[in-house]
Amino acid sequence: MAFDIDEYAAGSREVRWDDLDLDHFREHPLPADTLRTLRYMTDVEYHTICYTRDLLTTPSRADDDVARFMVTWNREEFWHGEALAAVLRVHGIEVGFDQLRANRLKFGWRDALDPAGQSILGRLVGPDFIAVHMSWGAANEYTAVSAYRRMAALATDSVLAQLLRRIAQQETKHVAFYASQARKRLAASRKAQLITRFLLNHAWAPVGSTIMDRSEVRFVFGQLMSGPEGTAEARRLDGNVSALPGLSGLRIFSKAFGRLLTEAAPA
Amino acid sequence: MTEASDGFDVRAFTRTAQGRFSDELDLDMFATQPLAPDDRALIRFLARVEGASMEHLRDVLMTATHKDARVTAFLVTWAYEKQWVADALGAVLEAHGEPSLSAVADGRPLVRLSEWRARRGPLWRAVASIRHGDAVVAAHMATGLIDEWVMAAAYDVLADRADNSPLTKVLDRITAVRRRHEEFFAGEADRRLRESEKAVRLTRSMLRHAVWPIGALHRGAADRERFASAVFTGAEGRDRAMAIGTRVAGMTRMTAVTGARVSRILRQ
Repeated sequence: MAFDIDEYAAGSREVRWDDLDLDHFREHPLPADTLRTLRYMTDVEYHTICYTRDLLTTPSRADDDVARFMVTWNREEFWHGEALAAVLRVHGIEVGFDQLRANRLKFGWRDALDPAGQSILGRLVGPDFIAVHMSWGAANEYTAVSAYRRMAALATDSVLAQLLRRIAQQETKHVAFYASQARKRLAASRKAQLITRFLLNHAWAPVGSTIMDRSEVRFVFGQLMSGPEGTAEARRLDGNVSALPGLSGLRIFSKAFGRLLTEAAPA
Repeated sequence: MTEASDGFDVRAFTRTAQGRFSDELDLDMFATQPLAPDDRALIRFLARVEGASMEHLRDVLMTATHKDARVTAFLVTWAYEKQWVADALGAVLEAHGEPSLSAVADGRPLVRLSEWRARRGPLWRAVASIRHGDAVVAAHMATGLIDEWVMAAAYDVLADRADNSPLTKVLDRITAVRRRHEEFFAGEADRRLRESEKAVRLTRSMLRHAVWPIGALHRGAADRERFASAVFTGAEGRDRAMAIGTRVAGMTRMTAVTGARVSRILRQ
């Protein structure tokens, strides 16, 4: 089914948490491991505007639907960050603007050149690069939905589980956009399929990998994607991506999570 | 820097952002009080620039501005609110039986040699950002503030020329949205220009070569010329441009030379 950008934008609402009893965490604080994972997710959500920067350097910015999607998408992801930060705040963990700025400054001058690299790649590849971005975005959003749902399922705290399910629900719309765009653009271009397949297979890593310490990436996906259920979930995600035109047989999730879990395993 | 620096609470702003309001407008009134074609053409241009926030964000986010989480939190909501301003203006046009905003492409772009700096791409901006550092944020805030003045002038011209009660109600809603944008840009520009000599030098330099309104650079030549003709041409237009130039000169550590240059840009 085609994605209706107007309907998406008009129907977008900030994820709510004002009706959830966050004060409940003062009596029933979440465990440290859970807070660590939430902190990872919070940082990733708040970092969306920086990921948008990379998208804007390439032909993706010139596409009206993509540009309009990015406005609402950014706002929704920002609100996910705010919601998760509210939970962390009750636990005495502050993720304010100064903290976020400090995190972004750590990336140094190389971070300034990342968009330049994207821009050059975008020029070399041309409009087909939009297919790469959309497929990449689909993979990231599939990961986000899965992570939030897995965490909600594993959570013993009902307030947390409810919030995570709400965020996951919004992320499904992001999946719908990226996947529909990827499907359309890949179906239209064999070159797009070849380039996307190559880049996803060789360069994609779970969302947050480029901004978080490797130890945190290992920890979070070790929490969420280990065991038989995690393996099955990775296979299911692979099935989603490999169903896109030209991407048959890709196993980017199984490979990436498998690598992380192997790194995390005791020697 | 605190969460509510300069008295502007960005978190409160993000929580109270104006979403879609075109469905709250009494557009049926245009059936009996329609707008003239020239006014509708100006509205289409204003809608296109309001909806072009991603073009501007591309240039802004290439720089150190993207690292300032408070500013990016504002800009995410700024873009969101401008999207719905564009939507409201588009609804006014559709109430006159005109095609939607997305159905009409921009015409042939206006190519001015004087605007070559504004057209510099992400590669140059990314490399230059290493040299500019945080000082560039002040320039972006100043550019945004001047944009608010330029668009306010445009909306005033439209309101006066159209003399149309239903349109005035729409424009009043838009003015209320933009008022908070102006407040943020003014506070940020003032603080940053007070704090940094480098920010002052860079802002003076960048304002001399900026293009207003934000979003106009990639619009059709005919539309841009129509806008300039309506807002900054003739005796009244010259006065508007000079008034904005005077306000620029009155900005923290800006000069009459910078103000005069901005006036000339507006009257090109």
